[in-house]
Amino acid sequence: MCGIIGFIGDLHATGASDGGEGDGETPASVGDIVHEGLRNLEYRGYDSAGVALVGPRSGLTVAKRSGEVDGLTVPDVPDATHGVGHTRWSTHGPPTDANAHPHTDCTGDVAVVHNGIIENYEALKAELADHEFTSATDTEVIPHLIEEALAADPDADLLDAVRRVESRLEGSYAICAVRKGDDRIVVARRGSPIVLGRGESAWFVASDVTAFLEHTRDVTYLEDGDVAELSPDGVQIFADGEPVDREIETVEWEAGAAEKGGYDHYMRKEIHEQPAALRQTIAGRLDVDAGDVDLDVSFPPGFLADLEEIQIVACGTSNYAGRYAAQLFEELSGVRATVEIASEYEFGAGRSPDRTLVVAVTQSGETADTLGAIRRANAAGARTFAVTNTLGSTITREVDGTAFIRAGPEIGVAATKTFASQVATLAMLGVAIGRERGALAPADARSVLEDLRGLPGAVQQVLDNEERVREAAREYGDSEAFFFVGRKLGVPVALEGALKLKEISYDHAEGFAAGELKHGPLALVTPDTPVLALLTDGSRAAETKNNVTEAQTRGAPAIGCVSAGKEYDTLDVSLPVPDVGIAEPLVANVYLQLFAYHVANDKGRSIDKPRNLAKSVTVE
Amino acid sequence: MSTDEVTAVILAAGEGRRLEPLTNRRPKPMVPVANRPLLEYVVEAVAAAGIDRVVLVVGYKQERIRNHFGDGDDWDVTIEYVEQATQLGTGHAVLQAEPVVDGPFVVLNGDRIVDAAAVSTVCDRLRDGDAPLVTVTAVETPRDYGVVQLDGDRVTEVNEKPEGPVDTNRINAGVYGFTPEIFDAIRATNATGELAITTTLNDLAERDSVTGVGYDGRWLDVSNLWDVLSVNAALVHDSDHARDAPATGQRVGDAVTVADDVVLAGNVRIGPNATLSGASAIGSNVTVAANAVVENSVVLPDAVIGPGAVVRDAVIAGNARIGPNATVVGGEATVVVGDSVHRGVTLGGVVGDNTSIGGGATLTNGAVVGDDVQADAGVVLDGRVESGAVVRRG
Repeated sequence: MCGIIGFIGDLHATGASDGGEGDGETPASVGDIVHEGLRNLEYRGYDSAGVALVGPRSGLTVAKRSGEVDGLTVPDVPDATHGVGHTRWSTHGPPTDANAHPHTDCTGDVAVVHNGIIENYEALKAELADHEFTSATDTEVIPHLIEEALAADPDADLLDAVRRVESRLEGSYAICAVRKGDDRIVVARRGSPIVLGRGESAWFVASDVTAFLEHTRDVTYLEDGDVAELSPDGVQIFADGEPVDREIETVEWEAGAAEKGGYDHYMRKEIHEQPAALRQTIAGRLDVDAGDVDLDVSFPPGFLADLEEIQIVACGTSNYAGRYAAQLFEELSGVRATVEIASEYEFGAGRSPDRTLVVAVTQSGETADTLGAIRRANAAGARTFAVTNTLGSTITREVDGTAFIRAGPEIGVAATKTFASQVATLAMLGVAIGRERGALAPADARSVLEDLRGLPGAVQQVLDNEERVREAAREYGDSEAFFFVGRKLGVPVALEGALKLKEISYDHAEGFAAGELKHGPLALVTPDTPVLALLTDGSRAAETKNNVTEAQTRGAPAIGCVSAGKEYDTLDVSLPVPDVGIAEPLVANVYLQLFAYHVANDKGRSIDKPRNLAKSVTVE
Repeated sequence: MSTDEVTAVILAAGEGRRLEPLTNRRPKPMVPVANRPLLEYVVEAVAAAGIDRVVLVVGYKQERIRNHFGDGDDWDVTIEYVEQATQLGTGHAVLQAEPVVDGPFVVLNGDRIVDAAAVSTVCDRLRDGDAPLVTVTAVETPRDYGVVQLDGDRVTEVNEKPEGPVDTNRINAGVYGFTPEIFDAIRATNATGELAITTTLNDLAERDSVTGVGYDGRWLDVSNLWDVLSVNAALVHDSDHARDAPATGQRVGDAVTVADDVVLAGNVRIGPNATLSGASAIGSNVTVAANAVVENSVVLPDAVIGPGAVVRDAVIAGNARIGPNATVVGGEATVVVGDSVHRGVTLGGVVGDNTSIGGGATLTNGAVVGDDVQADAGVVLDGRVESGAVVRRG
């Protein structure tokens, strides 16, 4: 999915300022408005972004790069009268600076942004043999075709050229084109969404009204085959070359509702997407009958047999996914596994690089700390591997092999569905390595794969219980502090549960191994500090329950995620976890996600963009 | 003029208790046929009729709907949601859309499948200034629905599920055309208990005109559990297989028979020698193990059909497990729903979400097993089995 924004018109009419606090007088620049529109569209994709700005003196200025919209520096073009922007989420082909939109022609006079797929681009590209292409995208044929159309007919203007080009394109598209020396944005639509915003003297074009909803609520949806021209004089729409009137509608709803599909927050949407995301994660990869997985990864002959250690390097939530996986690696793959915080990682002494596999876990594939760790591992001569959500991300170019978690874009800063998909992917990797090394019997592998297969259905059952979690959040949300405890696979989940709550509710929350409670933290336990415990398979429930009782003795309320069919009648809240063996703590984590969400939501926190935090931390 | 100005209001807040246990965890519009929720077909019909803006009235288990449809991008429409917190009837549901509708609009049921033609005909008539409009279609069993009395194209009465004999097979197809004036009319309707839109229409039919619009296209209604199978069968033939998921994730073993009228979601696993036939739909992440037979059945996501199991004329809900060699014999059955007895319906059985049927167990025809049931190996399940039950052998 990609997002398009375009703006033309009177800057004063937009009511926007340049963003300075209390400085409502200075109008924003065209670049500011386009940049803001891109931010609003970032949910449609955020692996590359770019803008093209046009001004009478400056001509055409294009800036684009891979990475998030906030990382894009929009050039200062004081005389810009109009501009277009684009944000991209690549699903096929890497997000590189060159592949980012806008794309330009050979002369550098025409710039195009595009959402959709040009199916016949190879044939068109073959026709344009004498043109120089700089990207691997289908889109790039469009500016070159426009260039051809303009060259073929000296009387043709941008509108004529787009019309001619449009008739040659097959597939689905929404296109915006601008040209040096031309005071218009020309828009064409077939199959992909595009909407015009019609202020009194300022006009917008975007993939979605949320891009410009703060400026105008009067909109026109283009129909397939429509070509529109946005000029300083207003909007003109053509169908089959004839001007047509299209209805102007007024948008009633609030910005932000659209992209979240009616959910209040991305985080809640993404929590609820987990069954579907997990189905994608395991799709086609589990061969349950054979007790093996098909992860499409390969290692040099003999490498796995001689493997002495797997080192996992990651930060934050990915690090906790790594801690879950490390235990599985030791159990399934029969190899020593350690987890390092990426920023602390060094290839320590006493290791043989050619017998060490360093696995980086990163949602974005751009996390600077994790990239740094991988570079140190590469420099030491170790074999490196990445588990990531993002095709073509930097890390995939720096490692020897990659497994994608296929969770789909995650917008909420607090990682939710990617944690589940990371652990599932790492578990499959553990099975693959274990089978290859002969450390894992097919029957044992089958049992693990059965558990993974059952994950989506089990997570759905937890989601069906959301109301019980909401009640628990209401009852205990105002407590002084929260302690999350578990053992074995429950430890990383306790850490993750506490992190989620910290991140979005700003409450004091700590996660630790249940056995550690009595070695210190018990001093903090009071009737106002609920204990949330993992009491499932894979988290040594009986022993953990003893530690929970220690806390309850000091008056702390206890909330437990409990394997279905088991009951501890001393718990204040008992949340049932379906029977999925080693995946149970991972399923229980969904309760903790919902708990964090509802506590934070009851407190009115900025859930999708917690203070001080960013989605992908690209600085060290 | 285009149809841009017409909004579609789709009623999707209802619970659908007659479809229990399938509706214990999902609203009725989210019950899948041919691997896609009923509501998706309705949204597609609306989009195909050229409507850009859709208002979904949601309530019961609304997360399922919001999560599936999002903002409507995948269907090239803009979807907005309004909530009907308590389900007080179709009239009350329509009223919830008042704050977001200010022009002519079409109302549809989220659980009845119609063609785009039904929607576009109403849109055309709305633009001619006709309203209120009721779409009328002919069915074989009119007494199960709202029987419509017509005088020319004037509706004189809509009679909900009449007891006695009827002299017409024309019924209310559940596609309406309204202007915002309907909201006042709904408010002015005296109703005890549920506020049905047809009550308001009957009031209006007495005073001024309600226009009937004929429709003879596809009209598929899922009232009862066995309708899931017949509607599924009607849809698998023309379903767009590519839409469900990328087909790359399928793992199909050796010597597997998959008939043409079977819809497989992308990431299914089919074991060797399994046979899938007879208008079946197999959902995402489903496993059909070696030697299993699935015929004329609907299998929801994450379910597991064990080795050698036979599943005929059945609905297997999400994440259910059918043990090795378990059997749903299939064929005609007598099923009791509430206090009415339905004889001669084709229903081998229904297995609710997350239920586990032990190896070698048997469902007698028409058995309806609830959610979260644990049935031991070798048991015989008959009639209704309550959700959460543990069925032991002996």
